[in-house]
Amino acid sequence: MEELDHRSTVGKLSDDLGWLENHCRLQPELAAHAGNLRLASALTRNTIGPFLEGQPAKPLHLAVVGGAGAGKSTVVNFLAGAIVADANPQAGYTRHPTAYLPAGPAFQWPSYIGFMGPMQRISQEKPANVDEDVYQVKRIPPLKDGADPLANFVLWDCPDMTTWASAGYVNRLMEVTALADVIVYVASDERYNDEVPTQFLHLLVRAGKAVVVVLTKVREVDAAALIEHFKQEILGRLPKLPDGNVPAVPVIAFPQMPMSERTDPAGAGAKHRVALLNQVLVQAESETAARARTVTNAARYLSTAGDGLLDVARRDLAEFELWKNTVYRGMAEFEDRYRREFLSGEQFHRFDHYRDRLLELIELPGAGRLLSNVMWALRTPYRWSRDAVSKLLVRPDVLNLSERTVLESSLSGWLDQLRAESLRRAGTHPMWKQIAHGFEGGLANQARDRFQQEYRGFELKETVELEQAGQQMLATVEQNPVLLYGLRGGKFVADIAIVAAVLYFTWLPSWYHLLLIPLGVSFTHQIAELIVRGGAEAARTRVRRQREKLVAQSLTTPIANWLAEWPATGGSSFERLQQVLTRVPLMIRQMEEKVSAKVKAATPPPEAPAPASTPSEPPRA
Amino acid sequence: MNEHDEAAPMTVAAEPPAPLLRTLAPLLRGLERQFRGWLDARRKFPLTMIQRAELEGMADDLRRQGEALDVEKPLLVIMLMGGTGVGKSTLLNALSGAPIAQAAFTRPTTRDPVVYFHHSIRSERLDPALRLCRLAQHDRPGLEQKIIVDTPDLDSNDLANREKLIALLPIADIVLYVGSQEKYHDKLGWDLFKEQRRRRAFAFVLNKWDRCVTTGELGLRPDEDLLADLKSEGFEKPLLFRTNAQAWLDSAKKAGTTVGLPPKPEDLPEGEQFPLLRNWLELGLTRLEIEAVKARGVGQLLVSLSRAIDGVRPPDLTAEAEKVQQSWSGTLGEEAAVQADVLVGTLEPYRTEVEHHFSVEDQQRFRGLMGAYLRLSTRMKYAGSSLRDRIPLAGRILPGGRVETPVEWNLGAFVQECARSAGERALDQRSTALVNRLLVEGDQRGFPLTLLHDPTHTVGRLDWRERITRSVIEALAEVEQICTNPRGWRKWVRSTLGLLANTLPEISLVATAGYVLYDFFVNSVVPDTFRIALIAIVPLVVIVIFHLLIVLLLPVRWPAIRGEFHKRLGARLTQEFERAYLPIPSDLALALVEERSQVDRLVAETKEVNDWLAVRQQAAQVAELYGN
Repeated sequence: MEELDHRSTVGKLSDDLGWLENHCRLQPELAAHAGNLRLASALTRNTIGPFLEGQPAKPLHLAVVGGAGAGKSTVVNFLAGAIVADANPQAGYTRHPTAYLPAGPAFQWPSYIGFMGPMQRISQEKPANVDEDVYQVKRIPPLKDGADPLANFVLWDCPDMTTWASAGYVNRLMEVTALADVIVYVASDERYNDEVPTQFLHLLVRAGKAVVVVLTKVREVDAAALIEHFKQEILGRLPKLPDGNVPAVPVIAFPQMPMSERTDPAGAGAKHRVALLNQVLVQAESETAARARTVTNAARYLSTAGDGLLDVARRDLAEFELWKNTVYRGMAEFEDRYRREFLSGEQFHRFDHYRDRLLELIELPGAGRLLSNVMWALRTPYRWSRDAVSKLLVRPDVLNLSERTVLESSLSGWLDQLRAESLRRAGTHPMWKQIAHGFEGGLANQARDRFQQEYRGFELKETVELEQAGQQMLATVEQNPVLLYGLRGGKFVADIAIVAAVLYFTWLPSWYHLLLIPLGVSFTHQIAELIVRGGAEAARTRVRRQREKLVAQSLTTPIANWLAEWPATGGSSFERLQQVLTRVPLMIRQMEEKVSAKVKAATPPPEAPAPASTPSEPPRA
Repeated sequence: MNEHDEAAPMTVAAEPPAPLLRTLAPLLRGLERQFRGWLDARRKFPLTMIQRAELEGMADDLRRQGEALDVEKPLLVIMLMGGTGVGKSTLLNALSGAPIAQAAFTRPTTRDPVVYFHHSIRSERLDPALRLCRLAQHDRPGLEQKIIVDTPDLDSNDLANREKLIALLPIADIVLYVGSQEKYHDKLGWDLFKEQRRRRAFAFVLNKWDRCVTTGELGLRPDEDLLADLKSEGFEKPLLFRTNAQAWLDSAKKAGTTVGLPPKPEDLPEGEQFPLLRNWLELGLTRLEIEAVKARGVGQLLVSLSRAIDGVRPPDLTAEAEKVQQSWSGTLGEEAAVQADVLVGTLEPYRTEVEHHFSVEDQQRFRGLMGAYLRLSTRMKYAGSSLRDRIPLAGRILPGGRVETPVEWNLGAFVQECARSAGERALDQRSTALVNRLLVEGDQRGFPLTLLHDPTHTVGRLDWRERITRSVIEALAEVEQICTNPRGWRKWVRSTLGLLANTLPEISLVATAGYVLYDFFVNSVVPDTFRIALIAIVPLVVIVIFHLLIVLLLPVRWPAIRGEFHKRLGARLTQEFERAYLPIPSDLALALVEERSQVDRLVAETKEVNDWLAVRQQAAQVAELYGN
């Protein structure tokens, strides 16, 4: 279970990083990040994966890297102690890595899914300038003087990273770099301050690799000064190691050697070889410790550089964020238009019906109905005159566009705005181009279809809501007996009181005094009507506000969400980008934990001492 | 190059070379002026920043070339270019026989360019960019017209060096691409070479030749490798010098020679060609070659110039503009109809005022009794419309009365108020939406949105309320005109009614009064109250009948006006929209056609100069400096 777990984590992580790398390669301005991402995914596949799988630390990997023509193959020969690699003056001759196995018993070659990425191992021997995604494995012939100090190492001769052709094969260099436990960085007297190799050296240090620098082709007299200069100029500006320490990078100089020394590394050139071997062996005191360091540093590099690696995705996502904002701004505009064009002028005339019913409700029921009718008859002149005056004074309503028209034209406005925006920005980022393309392919129509669907639901809800608001207004009065009888009784008492008062004060009343009765009754009714009207208006305002909310809830928000997420759906790169952004940091953390647990478990019992001798003293010439 | 090849064109071209370059100078200046003018002109078709920078650079080159050629003896600038440590400075030192350029093991060594030139050349004649470099003078007649420039590297961690080099490169006539065994095809240098190879002459040096000859079992020798690379770049027979400059410099130091070729160093590897390089610089590049290189440089510049200008030729959008206009006029019509709807809806609360206005206008033509009656009845009928305005706060309390109307009926102010209210409610948003709609439609018809964007938005930001107000007033006036001056049968009805209504009441009054008087005097019937009342009643009845007829046959009720008003307003708005928006695409297309023809003119002129040059230049001797 544990096994499968870490396998899937490693597999997914390297997949994601590989996908991100590809994503960068497709965008010219991001291509520079592709190399770093390749290193990250290769670290996962080549180093961390096999370690978690429990593969033995032996053999350690020693990679020789450097700019074209700096003398990598010569250095490989010196490390091997024999002429194994063809050192020739054609710059950038080596196009794929070659592994040199030490003489002696064969070890278990690392086997792991995704090991070395797309690179295949070729069995038959081919010249190093075969420009394919392959690596080959050769064996170093047995040394004459027996003990091989690098018996636990596989020696890798790598291609360069400086020639114009290197863009095609720098990935292979990255694969081996990720694999390596110790790296020999070769720089010639010409190259040591070159930008491209120096950047690469920085990358090695950030990834926490143990690095040994060999300065080649140095004039014997300049050697000491040059090493000092190099330490100051180049090493002084190195970044920190993943664990925060300042990297200690040993530097040795290889002078411009005569042919005799160059072709006989174990004999005439041995003094240079010894110096180099010393430094290399210091970097790897025991296999387990060296491998543990490599893996820990790799995991730590991934967790510290992870953010930086994902920056490429962030730029895209920032653009994505911008699109979302544009969509939601459009949504706000849509709602604003609805509010102004429709709601502000809408009177909800269906609501008047409820108002009238409320007025009826406060009339007396049953036997009292008779009295009410008398009052109604008494108020007739007042009613007529009131209607005449209000007809003169009240203006007709503003004629509104229909709700549907307003909604549809607001939607068109919204979509047009998005489309125009995407067209305007189409040149700045592929996402906008994708959106503009989507609009060409009928995105607007899809949005309209979606709107029609939502609209049906909305229409139902809005009718129901209006009815409910009216019913509720009635219900508050109906179901509250105190209020209901208070209103009814109040009005009734007021009517009676006025009639009684008129009769009392004008007793015996003449006919014109009796005219005061309808006047008074009308007055009380007007008061009651004003109260009911006030309640109805308040309810109307509530309905208006609720309608606004309803539009936001059931129409605009679903469409806005759908539009905002559109670029990230349908298997587009944004979908994957989002997944990658959330998944990668998580997986890196998981992996780091697993690595540190495993390292802890592996280090305390150093019970199995390395079978092969790891001589602290290098062999003499 | 052998003697005969060189001699043959010499005799023919002995005359032209000197005037050639002198004639070219004013031509280039003229071209540069035009080019500058074109570049600085305001344009509808925008250049991207990169395009503009490229074109600006070319304009500078053109000016520089023009100035450099306008002299008795044009100067040839040979520039060393290569990575750090390949031995550019050593090469210059070896060529000069003196340590004029700093050479050491620290990389990068050269930070400031070194200019090596003949003492007869006054430093004012140097290009301004060169005057700021370290200057080293010499007195070697062979190099009299040549300036050799040692430049900083292009690949070290010191990025400022690369910028210096790139700033200097445009001055170079011949670039001496210096490579070493390690760096002869490094990406940085090679990219720069590929970028510049169409712009100037290239010769190649493979320095540190001693490191190249130690062949391994496999792989190509660097010079073969480089030649293969160059061949794939189109240099069939490039000038490639294999040198070991350090050895020659050491030898010169040992022998103490500062002038002339130092004694040949002892352990020189086979195939070393430093003397050949030196010879080529001193003797191979004669005056004829210099002029050929110069002329060819100008030719290359002109070719890349015309290519660059051609690349920014605006498209011909005349056909698209027409299509866009067609689709726009449909959209604008629809939009005008909707906006008219909104405006008519906004006028709805003021129907009584509008009716009142129309009635008053219509009644102007009635005189006498009829006129007096109508004015009185109108005043009574529309009492509310002025009453409402006289009730303080009525606008706020009464529903529907949100818009404050002026107390005095003032059509202009009233309509303005309506347009403001409609604008706030709907029209402002609609105008913005309209702009987007138009842009999208334009893009669908193949008109790039980037071009339409700015002018359309500018139109969208115009004061549309003011225009709409004007349209409403005009439409109202038109409707009024129609109401007061109808056509067809209405005209007859109207004039007949008018004539009768203006006369009949008076006639009936006189007739009734006459009848009563006649009865009194002739028949001696003393009129009773009813008879006397008849004098007033009969004309009144007549007037009322006419009033009814007017109301029935010539209605000025709002619903009757509204349809007509809506139609007129829609037409007005359509007209207004079309006047503002429709010319945009065609104007743009026209401007682009004009810009296109400017580009064509420039390209044609460039080509003319280039053709003139091609006829006159004899570049046979320098062909190997240029690939295909």
